[in-house]
Amino acid sequence: MPEEKYLICEDSIEGIFTGIYEAYALKEGHDHIHLQIGEEENFRLFARYLYIAPDSVKTMKVAETIQKRLGAEVYLRICQALATEDAEKGQAVYQTLVDGITKKSGRRVLEHLTNPYVDKVFRLSRSASNEIHRMLEFVRFQELEQGVLFSRIGPKCNVVSFIMPHFADRLPLENFMIYDENRDLYGVHPAGEEWYLVSAPEEDVSDVFRMSEKEEQYQELFTMFCRTIAIKARKNLKLQQQMLPLRFRDNMVEFHKN
Amino acid sequence: MEPRIAPSMSIMDKLNILADAAKFDVSCSSSGSSRKGDGKGIGNTVKAGLCHSFAADGRCISLLKILFTNECIYDCKYCVNRCSNDVPRASFTPDEVCELTIEFYRRNYIEGLFLSSGILVSPDYTMELLCQTLYKLRTVYNFQGYIHVKAIPGADPALIQKAGFLADRMSVNLEMATAEGLQKAAPNKHRKTILKPMKLIQNGIVANREELVLYNHAPRFCEAGQSTQMIVGALPESDYQIMAVAQSLYQKFSLKRVYYSAFVNVNEDKDLPALPGGPPLLREHRLYQADWLLRFYDFTVDELLTQDRPNFNMMIDPKADWAVRHLELFPVEINRADYRLLLRVPGIGVNSARRIISARRFGPLTFEDLKKIGVVLKRALYFITCNGKMMYPTKLEENYIVRNLTYQSLASKKERSLFSPDGMRYEQMSLFG
Repeated sequence: MPEEKYLICEDSIEGIFTGIYEAYALKEGHDHIHLQIGEEENFRLFARYLYIAPDSVKTMKVAETIQKRLGAEVYLRICQALATEDAEKGQAVYQTLVDGITKKSGRRVLEHLTNPYVDKVFRLSRSASNEIHRMLEFVRFQELEQGVLFSRIGPKCNVVSFIMPHFADRLPLENFMIYDENRDLYGVHPAGEEWYLVSAPEEDVSDVFRMSEKEEQYQELFTMFCRTIAIKARKNLKLQQQMLPLRFRDNMVEFHKN
Repeated sequence: MEPRIAPSMSIMDKLNILADAAKFDVSCSSSGSSRKGDGKGIGNTVKAGLCHSFAADGRCISLLKILFTNECIYDCKYCVNRCSNDVPRASFTPDEVCELTIEFYRRNYIEGLFLSSGILVSPDYTMELLCQTLYKLRTVYNFQGYIHVKAIPGADPALIQKAGFLADRMSVNLEMATAEGLQKAAPNKHRKTILKPMKLIQNGIVANREELVLYNHAPRFCEAGQSTQMIVGALPESDYQIMAVAQSLYQKFSLKRVYYSAFVNVNEDKDLPALPGGPPLLREHRLYQADWLLRFYDFTVDELLTQDRPNFNMMIDPKADWAVRHLELFPVEINRADYRLLLRVPGIGVNSARRIISARRFGPLTFEDLKKIGVVLKRALYFITCNGKMMYPTKLEENYIVRNLTYQSLASKKERSLFSPDGMRYEQMSLFG
C-alpha cells in the first residue's frame, strides 16, 4: 500500500500554492497526497508529514500555470475560495487543479460539480464572493479630522484585497482606509496613488482618530433617511434581516442606537 | 402659485420631507450600467448594482431617493403630494442635492441619486430644474456614479433628451394599467403624455446605440435603460390586464423593468379602496414572479393567464400553476431536456438550469447532484426524472401536486408533522399492496 503523505502548509495563498507545487514535484500521482493547513492535532499512523515553507518563486509558477491553463476566471474563483476560513480549502483547491490540469477538464473545471472537490471550491468561492459583494455594499466610511475616510469591517473571509480595487476606482481622489478588525489588516489608499495592504498589531484605532466636524451631521442625516424611506404599511423586519444579517450591522451607522 | 415653503428650513427637515414624499416610488435599482471612474472625479457604476442598506420594510436602499420638490400643481388621488393635501412642502436647491449626494456617496451610504419631483409651475419648468441639478452634479462635482431621473410627462422633448445624456436610467410612471383608470385616479395626467416621453427615451437609446457603433466615445444616453411603475389594487384591474400591459411595454418600448406597487391609500380617498388587511402584498409578489417569467423564462402572458382566468392563484406561484396545468409535458428528463424546457420546471431557476447543462457534459446527473447544483427538489420532484427514474413514487395528477406544493409553503414544520398530506405518509407505501 502506498504511503499517505500530508503536506502541511501555511494558511495563505502563498502557503497553499507552494504546497501544490511540492505535491506535483513529488511525482507520485495525487491519490495519496493531502494538503493540510496548519499543524495536525491528531497524527495518523503510517503517514508521513512534510512541512512546507512558503516560497514566492514556486507560488508565482503555480499562479501562472493556473492562469494559463485554466483561465483568469477560474484563477479568481480559486483565490476567492482561499480567502475563506475553511480548514479543507487547500485540499479542495489542490484536487480541483488535478481535475483541471492533470485530467484536462481545463477551463471548464468548475462546471464539473459532480467532483466533490470541485463542488467544494465552487461553494467556497461563492461564499467568499457573496461576502465580498456584501462588503462593497455595507462598508461605511466615516470622515476623520484630517479628511481621511475610515472604515472598520469584521468579515468572515479575508476580503480586504478583493474590495480595495473597487473603492480605489470609485474614490480615486480620497485618502481612505479599510480596517479588518478580525485580521488586523489595513487596506490603505492615498489620494491619487495605488492602494496597499498593511498588517498592524491590534490597537484601538478609534481613540487615535477623531471624527471631522461635519461627520456627525451626515450620520444623522443618513440614519433619518433610512427611517423615513421605509413604508410603515409594509413593515417587514424579517425580510430586512434576511437581506441584511445582524452581523454586518455593528459597523453600519444607520443601525447604531441614539 | 403661492410659495408654501418655510423660508429657513434646515437640510435635515428638507431631507425628511422630500425622502418621505419619494418613498412610494418603487425602483431603487442601481444596475445596468458598467462604468469605471476616470480617476479625476468620484464614482463608478457596477453592472449588477449594489444595495447599500435595507429599510424596515425590507426594501433595498441603493440610491438617495428624493423629490426635488413636493410642491405639485396636480391632484392625483393616490398621491400624498397632491395639491389638495395640506402637507408640509419643501424644495431643495441644486447645490443641496449635489452636496448630499456626494457626501453620502463618499461614505458609501448610497450608489447614486434617484431624483424625482412634484410638478412645480409646469412640466418644462420642473424638468429644466432637474436637468440643471444633474448637469451640476456631473460637471461641477464630477460625479460618475449612478443617476436615475424621472422624465416629467409633458416636458419639452429637448429637455428629456438632455436629461438622458446625464442619467444612467430614466423612468416615467404609467401609474395605472388602463387609460380609463388613469383618467379616474389622476385627472391631470393622460396616457398619451406618459407614453410620449417613454417613446422619446426609447428612440434616444436606439439612436445612441448606433452612434456608439460608429464612435466608441460618443456620450452615453440612459445606459441602464428605462423603467416604469404601476400601482396594483387601487382600481379593479385584473392581473391579466396588468401583465398584458407589462408585456407590451417590454416588447414595444424595450423597458428594462416594470415595477408593481401594492396600493397604500395614504390619502384615505373615498374613490379609492380602503384596505383594512394592509396593501395587497401577496398579489404584488405574484406579479413580480410573473414578470420574472416574462423576462427570463421565455413565458408569454397568454400562457399564464386568460380572459376567463384573469387573476393569479394566490395559493401557488405562477410557474407551478402553469406546470400543473400542463402535466402532459412532464416529467422532464434532466439529462436530456433542453435549456428552455428545464427553465419551465418549478424549482429550477436560471442559474440551476445553466449549471445542469454544463455539469451533465461530464456525465449523467443524479438527484444528489441536483441538490448540490441548487435545484429545489421539494418543488421539482413532481416534474423531473434523473436517468429515467423519479425521486419518489408520486402521482402526476393536478390536485395531488397542488395539494403538496401549497402544503409546503403554508404549513410550518410542526403542522406538517401533525397533518401530513396523503401520499407522503410513509406508512401508506405498502410493499404488499
